[in-house]
Amino acid sequence: MRKLLLFLLFMSVSLSVFSQNILVKGTVVDGKSNEPIIGANVVVQNSPTPVGTVTDLDGAFSLSAPSDATLEITYFGYKTLQIKVNGSQALVIKMFEDAELLDEVVVVGYGVQKKSVVTASIAKVSSDELDMTAPVRMDNALKGLASGVTVTSSSGQPGAASEIRIRGVGTINNSDPLYIVDGMPIEGGLDYINPNDIASIEVLKDAASGAVYGARAANGVILVTTKMGTEGKTRVSYDFSYGLQSAWRRRDVLNASEYAVLRNEGAINAGLAPIYSDPYSYGEGTDWQDEVFYDNAPVENHQLSLSGGTKNVNYLFSAGYYNQKGIVGGNYDRSQYQRLTLRSNTKYTLLDESKNRNWLNKLVVTANISYARIKSKSIAVNSTWGTPLSSALALSPILSVYDEGDAAEAQIEKYSNTTGYVPMYSEDGKLYSIPGSEYGEMTNPLANLSLPGSNNWSHKFVANFSAQLQLWDNLKFKTSYGADVSFYGYDGYNPVYYLRNGGYNTISNAYSDKADGTVWQLENVLSYDKTIGVHSFSIILGQSAKQSSGSYLYGSRNYIINYDRPYIDASSGLAENADMTVAGAPYAKSTLASLFTRVSYNYNERYMFQATVRRDGSSRFGANNHYAVFPSFSLGWNLTNEEFMKERPSWLNMAKLRLSWGKNGNENIGNFQYTVLTSTGNNALFGINETMTQGVKASGLANEDLKWEESEQTDLGFDLGLLNNALTFTVDYYKKTTNGMLMTMNIPSYVGESKPIGNVGKMENSGIEFEVVSKFNIGEANLRIGGNLSYLHNELIEYGNDSGWANLDSFQGAGTISRAQNGKPFPYFYGYKTDGIFQNESEVETYVNSDGELLQEDAVPGDVRFVDVNGDGVIDDDDRTDIGKGMPDWTFGFNFSANWKNLDLNMMFQGTIGNDIFDATRRTDISATNLPTWMLDRWTGEGTSNTIPHYVQGDSKNWQSSDLYVYDGSYLRLKNIQIGYTLPKKWTNKILISSLRFYLSAENLLTFTKYHGYDCEMSSGGTSLGIDYGVYPQARVFTIGANLKF
Amino acid sequence: MKLKYIIVGFISTLLISGCSESFLEVDSPTDETIDTYFTTEAHIQEAVVAAYEPLHWPDWAMSEYNPINIMSDIMADDIWVGGQDKTDNKNWHLMMNYESLPNYVIKGIWTDAYSGVKRCNDVIKYLGWCDNISTENENYYKAQALALKVFYYNWLWKFWGNIPYYEENLSSPFIADQISADSVYTNMINNLETVINMDAFPMKETADNYGRVTKAMVYMLYAEIVMYQKDESRYATALSYMEEIINSGQYSLASDFTGIFLESGEWGSGSIYEVIYKDDDAVRSWDNPLYPGGTILPTLISPHSWADGTDGHDQGWGFCPVRQSTYDMYEEGDTRRDATCWNAAAVGDYNHRYQDTGFFLEKYAALTGNNEDQKADAQLNWNNNLRIYRYAETLLNAAELLVRTSGSMTDASTYLNLVHHRAGLTDNVSPTIDNIIKERHLEFVGEGKRYWDLIRTDKAESTLVPDEFGYRTNTWSNSKKYLPIPQSEIDAANGTLVQNNY
Repeated sequence: MRKLLLFLLFMSVSLSVFSQNILVKGTVVDGKSNEPIIGANVVVQNSPTPVGTVTDLDGAFSLSAPSDATLEITYFGYKTLQIKVNGSQALVIKMFEDAELLDEVVVVGYGVQKKSVVTASIAKVSSDELDMTAPVRMDNALKGLASGVTVTSSSGQPGAASEIRIRGVGTINNSDPLYIVDGMPIEGGLDYINPNDIASIEVLKDAASGAVYGARAANGVILVTTKMGTEGKTRVSYDFSYGLQSAWRRRDVLNASEYAVLRNEGAINAGLAPIYSDPYSYGEGTDWQDEVFYDNAPVENHQLSLSGGTKNVNYLFSAGYYNQKGIVGGNYDRSQYQRLTLRSNTKYTLLDESKNRNWLNKLVVTANISYARIKSKSIAVNSTWGTPLSSALALSPILSVYDEGDAAEAQIEKYSNTTGYVPMYSEDGKLYSIPGSEYGEMTNPLANLSLPGSNNWSHKFVANFSAQLQLWDNLKFKTSYGADVSFYGYDGYNPVYYLRNGGYNTISNAYSDKADGTVWQLENVLSYDKTIGVHSFSIILGQSAKQSSGSYLYGSRNYIINYDRPYIDASSGLAENADMTVAGAPYAKSTLASLFTRVSYNYNERYMFQATVRRDGSSRFGANNHYAVFPSFSLGWNLTNEEFMKERPSWLNMAKLRLSWGKNGNENIGNFQYTVLTSTGNNALFGINETMTQGVKASGLANEDLKWEESEQTDLGFDLGLLNNALTFTVDYYKKTTNGMLMTMNIPSYVGESKPIGNVGKMENSGIEFEVVSKFNIGEANLRIGGNLSYLHNELIEYGNDSGWANLDSFQGAGTISRAQNGKPFPYFYGYKTDGIFQNESEVETYVNSDGELLQEDAVPGDVRFVDVNGDGVIDDDDRTDIGKGMPDWTFGFNFSANWKNLDLNMMFQGTIGNDIFDATRRTDISATNLPTWMLDRWTGEGTSNTIPHYVQGDSKNWQSSDLYVYDGSYLRLKNIQIGYTLPKKWTNKILISSLRFYLSAENLLTFTKYHGYDCEMSSGGTSLGIDYGVYPQARVFTIGANLKF
Repeated sequence: MKLKYIIVGFISTLLISGCSESFLEVDSPTDETIDTYFTTEAHIQEAVVAAYEPLHWPDWAMSEYNPINIMSDIMADDIWVGGQDKTDNKNWHLMMNYESLPNYVIKGIWTDAYSGVKRCNDVIKYLGWCDNISTENENYYKAQALALKVFYYNWLWKFWGNIPYYEENLSSPFIADQISADSVYTNMINNLETVINMDAFPMKETADNYGRVTKAMVYMLYAEIVMYQKDESRYATALSYMEEIINSGQYSLASDFTGIFLESGEWGSGSIYEVIYKDDDAVRSWDNPLYPGGTILPTLISPHSWADGTDGHDQGWGFCPVRQSTYDMYEEGDTRRDATCWNAAAVGDYNHRYQDTGFFLEKYAALTGNNEDQKADAQLNWNNNLRIYRYAETLLNAAELLVRTSGSMTDASTYLNLVHHRAGLTDNVSPTIDNIIKERHLEFVGEGKRYWDLIRTDKAESTLVPDEFGYRTNTWSNSKKYLPIPQSEIDAANGTLVQNNY
């Protein structure tokens, strides 16, 4: 075949004009570093007899060729080039690395596609971009790098997961995207992936790209591809970094004197006697935040990887170790994260006869195996119920951390009769103070941190094996099996302690929980690619089966004998005294069985068409709704490949229009929601001995008609490439409607049972996304600027109940603060609108309704003036309204990288516009609580303040949920900045090091925000999106590091 | 090469992976489906037990504190609401002043009671699935389910009157017909008459079965609803039931009133029905409040920041201070005064919260030691059984029914004075309706009887009036008889529920 082709070529060439051979000389250099490329192949194309050579040590070559010949230059790992000689005899040929070639390929479900023919909306994050931010977790990595992807940091706590929303909150139900790592769905423990091992992340945003994952794609799909070795000698790299973390900001609260003054004022305003006779005698007092924050908490990271390959085997082995202490509790062994990751990715070409025959000619087997071991501890955060951080903000600065001398005796005396009291001592023997019941649930945060806490641990193995056989022509068959096996749990103990009234433990106990989970997936895919002239086809046909299962075992036992051995076997409680507890069972299995197909066609890369259909069957639905079909279609038009565009200006490389429509599903609910099972443990007590008697009831009410939640999405996109693709631009508009949202049916409680889940609600998201990348050189400097910007509009169309609304979160003392309501963003902040402060009595008296009645007859000067929103002449609960929302209108990221000679610089900014934060950190129901410093600007008389009401002890009327709690949450943050220096090769080559780079970096160095809280990256998601209950702030980290390559 | 092995390998992979329908049929590893489970007598018994469980919920479940006795007493004239201020359990404060709002009305009892109704209906349904069961036993299970169902509906009927009522559990679209309070009464009384005719219960249970439905408990329930409905046609029957209890000789008045509410007084000679709470190894918790164990009632109604152990009492949250007028209504020598009203202010320091009087309800106060053997959350594991029906009420019911049916005044006087004298008083009281109601007042403060007595004797409008402290500013009127139905229920019922004219 090949010979025949060559013969035909020869004939065609021989028929053309024979031109004269000349001696062509040239050098081949790396396009970036200008270093010579040694051993590149240079071949004269279309030559009747093979003519070729190899570049020498200086990258130079010479050969004899026709003056109009075309040279093909190939070198492993670099893009192949065709260069016209055009009579030139001294060529300088620049080659560029393959990585940029890869850039033009996009991973899609079950395959890859040339970016130029992609018709769907897919955001790609490459390993280069990930390197810029050095994330700990893959989900954190996406922050600021991809448009349409909102990443909400759950917390600054080490190892904390992020909440990812693709194109908004798609449903009231679970809105998490589907994660597919090397073809394997991962349903938990995403942090097992070392971000260093990631080659690229593709975010499938529209329905057309996600449709191949049908039932699980409604909230978008995140495809993670791990790195693979490339042919060549073994490359070894070792990366090291060490950083110091500190809170980037504290909250401003009152010092002891200010506190005493305000408490006195508050008491007097409430008609009570002042509390402190000499407020100024207390000085600065205790800075509780100082006590709680751990400055310069260390974080270290080691990465080792070996990769390489021969003709038949490619391999990559990597090991990573990461150890981070938290900035709150890290010094008390209460907040930390340690991770060991190991990975081996191997590809074997077992058979390659593709040169000899066109059937059954190639067999490639891959085996990707990874292991992660994680240990972590965490403290309670984002709550105003006595967490260390909320207590640090709430406790009076007059209180001391420890009770010493007389105070110690007084404490013991005072509490000696209190149920559960035990004195608590620090490691150096000092007695922790007890704030007392006037602080409600608040506790001495250091006493709290001195408790042992719970150890979380996990082992996770994920292995994927696949074999791909070339059947005939371009028809391939691939079978793959993947297994995700994890073992996880927690253990620890509760000593006897006393922190506060209601917060104590009188019986020590040791506990341990061990669980395991297994997910396996078997897939078979047939694929066929063919190009016939200007027609290109690609067809895949596949089958997939997946099962998840697992089990757990929990035990605990009271009365630890010695806290040095806090284990169940080293405790003395007896089962007959109910001092031992055990629980355990297999988890219910869930299964998914699917068939899918995708047909892609393009005409000369000018017109593209793609259709996908997936039929999914899920065990989560009853027999009458096991299966659902999810179709999608997309179209693309490469304007620049049109004949009439041939004469276009040279700066316009590429312009492509895309249009797609599709339906995806969501099956993210519990098992057995469609049926009724038994529920044990519904016991009752009988008899003089109060005997616990086993009772069993129905688990709930059945909804046999339960079916898939569906999201329908239309996407219109436009891609532009300018200046030889040095500037690329992408814009997408989309509209996504979720129908039949799976949620608890809003039926009356009088059914007498927990309510079933039904397909009830409807949600709509629409938005615009922009991405722009520009690469250019200035002299010897290479620069790259990338940016992305997304606008999102979210609206709950139908909540699925009669009233059309539901109250969601509440805050103690303020009432309901978030709400779901038809026609509003989900969720939104709910409360009163305010209109300044009553400055004097006459303002109260003139604040009347249309009938002349006082709107706030109980108000006094200094009180908040609430707005009669509904205009009914009274101010009551019905006047509460939309006062903000946590979801940003705009999210953006911006990155910049530059290298000049041996220096490099990377910067990544990110931010949001148009989101609000509800500051729910000050419990107004606790009179003794410390106050934020801005309370010093309170109203104290006419004209003193028109925003902050006067301070009254026990004031609940001014601090109902209102816009006084709501702040602008927009921010711009320099997430990461890194400066590196690579030692000159001439030095490092002498000691067999191919590259050695040192760098300094800073995370969260600069933040521009109007919000005064610990962090503007808000940790709450779900129904409390944007509500700050006291987040664990992200740290500002200064890091030094080195990258070493052999 | 080994091409054929490769081919065989791929073909077999394809075959294996061909999926079958059964792959999607998954069974729960821990739970059976109900239609296969509730087919044996042992499992029916478990369903019956589950029908008792909601009895213990109202004090704390569904995120609401709705102790059933306190919820009626705050609408009467013996206790204030207390707590931190008027926003602390706001729905209680609004109820106290007869200004409940559909969005601020108790809902815990509503949900608890319907959970009970649903479980009772299920028992009756499951009995149809079970073959190997004697008629006698089947009757016993069915009678318990019917009696408990009436017990639960009675809560709903008294607090809300016109309620959704169903005898068979609901299926999609999960809507029940709302019927009038009178129709609810008719249904309840029919069910009770069925139960009584089944004759499935002993007059008094054996000690191991305390807490199960008894004949005396059903009779007391019968008398309660007949008298609240003022159904004169059934007074004679109710009276005969009361006399049957009295004449059975199985119950008698405990000689010492003070001891009735101690742990040692539980299931004493005068106890007809109690809801059992315990502290021994109790693991009811904030995370799992529906699980049986102790009660939170003593925590709710004991003084705030009280030094634990002082005067034998522990601290609580300062709700439900007892009114001074209640303390004052007792004659000197009436042992019920100090057994009812604990003068905490006289014996210790505490945080005097809203509406404080110094007095707390001794009957259910947090007595030191009464939660010491619990194993979860101490605040909600007090061991005080909730007294539902006492023999004293049987006597007073009988006395009242005698008067109302022009029966033997001698007997009426005997019954009334048995109760009166047990309190340590020596004078004789003549059996008039007013005296009987007054005796009930003295006897049952804090037991959730007074408010309904005032309504059924038409004394509510004259008694439940604004007070001198400005706490209650509204006067009870007939429209206040039924609380507003919670707004969320109105909303969820898609226009099928008519709101009470509160």
